[in-house]
Amino acid sequence: MPDIFLDLWQDLAPGTQDALILVLLLLPAILIGLFVTAGYRPLALVRSLLWRYRWTNLMFVALIAVSVGLGVGLTAQERGLRQGTARAAEKFDLIVSASGSEITMLFAAVYLQPSDVPLLDGAAYDRIAKADNVQLAAPIAFGDSYEGAPVVGTTPQFVEHLSGALTEGRMFARSGEAVAGASVDLPVGAEFVPAHGSGEGADHEAHAGAKTRITGKMAATGSPWDKAILVPVEAVWEVHGLSNGHAPERAEQIGPPFDPEYFPGTPAVLVRAEALWANYALKSEFTTDKTMAFFPGAVLARLHSLMGDIRQVMSLMAVVTQVLVTAGVLTGLVVLVRLFSRRLALLRALGAPRRFVFAVVWSYAAVLIAAGALLGLAAGFAASGIISAEISRRTDILVQASLSWPEFHLIAGFVSLTVFLALLPALLSLNRPVIPDLRS
Amino acid sequence: MAGLSLDVSGLSVTGSGGRVLLQPASFQVRAGEAVGILGPSGAGKSTLLYALAGLQPKVTGVINWGGQDIACLSDAERARFRRNHVGMVFQDFLLFEELTALGNAALTTAFSPRKDLAPIRSRAAALLERLGLPHSKRNVDSFSGGERQRVAIARALANDPDIILADEPTASLDRAAADRLIGDLITLARSEGKTLIAVSHDRHLLDRMDRSLQVADGQLVEPSHA
Repeated sequence: MPDIFLDLWQDLAPGTQDALILVLLLLPAILIGLFVTAGYRPLALVRSLLWRYRWTNLMFVALIAVSVGLGVGLTAQERGLRQGTARAAEKFDLIVSASGSEITMLFAAVYLQPSDVPLLDGAAYDRIAKADNVQLAAPIAFGDSYEGAPVVGTTPQFVEHLSGALTEGRMFARSGEAVAGASVDLPVGAEFVPAHGSGEGADHEAHAGAKTRITGKMAATGSPWDKAILVPVEAVWEVHGLSNGHAPERAEQIGPPFDPEYFPGTPAVLVRAEALWANYALKSEFTTDKTMAFFPGAVLARLHSLMGDIRQVMSLMAVVTQVLVTAGVLTGLVVLVRLFSRRLALLRALGAPRRFVFAVVWSYAAVLIAAGALLGLAAGFAASGIISAEISRRTDILVQASLSWPEFHLIAGFVSLTVFLALLPALLSLNRPVIPDLRS
Repeated sequence: MAGLSLDVSGLSVTGSGGRVLLQPASFQVRAGEAVGILGPSGAGKSTLLYALAGLQPKVTGVINWGGQDIACLSDAERARFRRNHVGMVFQDFLLFEELTALGNAALTTAFSPRKDLAPIRSRAAALLERLGLPHSKRNVDSFSGGERQRVAIARALANDPDIILADEPTASLDRAAADRLIGDLITLARSEGKTLIAVSHDRHLLDRMDRSLQVADGQLVEPSHA
């Protein structure tokens, strides 16, 4: 492509580029339609044929819709999942933990998936908290739960960073108080006793004396933290019989600073730097033999890149499915054309040009294809919505799969390709003998 | 349009595998004349009619309609000839059931030039009215057999052809409906000066024609003037 066109193209807004791609993809279908039907008015007859064989036509439309819906749903869902997981990790700029697996730590700290990980000691935490340009260094502690909701210990500053202002109530201010995630079914003022562990193996008696009251509700974050109950990290340490991070004379303190010698250990420190560039310096500083520092976003990007290959395979499968269904539909159309071959023969007997008969058959096929594609778009959208809601419900990662340009491009390409292929049954219909069809 | 004369000379039709469907035949029809074609089933009556319409693919001889030999025309030219000069009526109506009476009668507007649309539609509406079918906006699936065939006649005449070719037009009708249809068909053809050729077993129809041709075993055996 000459540079001038490339420059012009790159100067266009992304939305304009996508709209132009859509038009270009649809253009073959539009041009074929204009060329085939030029000078004729086949729609009344097409309507008649559509109604006469409505159940068969509906089956064809449904087949096309399923194949298109599958393609649209897969691509929209995959993107929604990718965006959802990225959004859930947005507030986690930098995580510092003991050396190990970044992915395991990512899953534990961001997506609150239970796992056994080594702890950072007080000295390590102290170095992180006192490092230059650190705005926030929040230790976390987990391992308890209440009715399926993980109970996570952290600092008030991190809760504010995570969700902004509370939607209700106030921040926890001492052990025995908690802030509930947006999806936790506990109102402000409710009391509960956390269980040790999670799932079916949770011990409900282990923390019998640790009655905790909900003092506030977080705003929704679109992350698994919405389903968590956040308590002071000190409270988690205390109920497990550990020191609470503060010297005895400051035992009532909630949040930093922590005393290294009274710091029981944390699986990870969630760090926010005062400036973006500082994150890189901190990452470098804490990437050592004993500690690792990573950007959750970068780990996710690597994961998504790995999933990209799977995505391509899935996309290919969706396209292959569509091509197979289309081939089936077009074969079916050839058979279906035989059903109304008598009517086509009548048109020929009345003096209709062959191109008109061709236009009727092609328009009929094009209407089925267009209806199937539109229905498939709606079906893909609905299925994506349902699957997204289910994934969100199960993982607490807010997945919002919505239709976007790639889906519209996919459908436009599909429509253009299939209406082009529909020229074939139209062409075959012209080879039918008129008199035997008239007498059939 | 007034009717066209027909001059058929040495017309023969072969079918698949070279089987002779119609032996060489010669006859003339005057412009505006009404001619019946009779004969036993399978004798070749419809083959002759479809050959006259330019629909038979393997035809030799001359089919001269008003000075134009359609036997030597291309497929597209024969289609144009039918479009401009021929109206056809079939045994079982061959209507689009999901269209209105007017939609069927003016069916050719779907492929006619734009300038012809209004004349064809108004003529179709007038013909339906004249044939006793005032409810032209009703779908024909609610019509009786007789009414359907009258819609088919309106369709055949809507583009004001010179020739009407009818293949067993009364065969699917009861006696009363058939008699009414015969009256309508003959009256319309005569009043507008159309050349009418009808294949039929129906004596009532053949008796109303100017003359009849008899076909037996693929041969025109008894060309006779009434």
